Amino acid sequence: MDKDFSPAPLDDQDLNALFEAAQRDTPELDPEFLMRLQAQAAAAVPQSARPKPPRLRLFQTLSGVVAQFGGWPAGAGLAMAGAAGVVIGISPPDAVLDITSAYFQTESLSELTGIGFEAEFNWEDT
Amino acid sequence: MALDASQNLEDAELLARFAKGDRTAAQVLTARLAPLVFAQAFRILGDRAEAEDVTQDSLLRLWHAAPDWQPGQAKVTTWLYRVTSNLCIDRMRKSKRHSGEEVPDMPDERPDIERRLQDRARAQALRAALGDLPDRQKQAMVLRHLEGLSNPDVAQIMQISVEAVESLMSRGKRSLAHALAPQKKALGLKDDG
Repeated sequence: MDKDFSPAPLDDQDLNALFEAAQRDTPELDPEFLMRLQAQAAAAVPQSARPKPPRLRLFQTLSGVVAQFGGWPAGAGLAMAGAAGVVIGISPPDAVLDITSAYFQTESLSELTGIGFEAEFNWEDT
Repeated sequence: MALDASQNLEDAELLARFAKGDRTAAQVLTARLAPLVFAQAFRILGDRAEAEDVTQDSLLRLWHAAPDWQPGQAKVTTWLYRVTSNLCIDRMRKSKRHSGEEVPDMPDERPDIERRLQDRARAQALRAALGDLPDRQKQAMVLRHLEGLSNPDVAQIMQISVEAVESLMSRGKRSLAHALAPQKKALGLKDDG
């Protein structure tokens, strides 16, 4: 009968020794590689779901003031009125010119109002 | 969210926060999971560069899956083990280059050089033999004996029954035992023959 010269297979103890060796023979993760992975993870964070940055306090205060005066519609009206004022100031219509020129051509407050200037100093005579 | 507070959260909770735009969750999850994925990939592939590629790919897939992640569907690590394992097997199929051909970089820090060299030789021989196993056997062997997972965990990752896992491992061990027998002496194992 021929003798079997093929090597005996490994037993469980041998295999376990190989598995343990392979577990030990594992390098550590490179810290630079980990940093790259973290940068990639940060870049992969869903954009639309990112928390919105807090609004500026000044903007919040302004929003509160505007809301008290009727909200943005009232604010828009106010802005329109302001813009109209600027236009009138730069290029006034004739009617406005008449009134303002009459006002500034008067020489004193008493002349405009009709109240005598000396009346204000009556207390000196008493 | 603060880094310290995030450290104590479960992987699934962190992933949900990631999907809501939390960058800190991304940072903590990466620091926690990347070493696991890298170790698994390296133990299968035996090559640092390839293991890093797989690690990167696995994590990118996790980030893409995050918005649709269903709480309680599976553990994040289970999902990652599966993805990593499949990616490694794909690479081995494509390259037909198994571990044992290249010596990976390792820092010379451990004093026991002789032991380290023996570990390296044994690990390379084992990886080479694992590379010749059918994919499913290889996957089961790696998850059970290199990653140290339980049979039910391996079954969940491979989406098969525990009995099927036991069967795969039994055949895998038998194949490895015969394939590595000629190297028994060279690997420093007791030679009874």
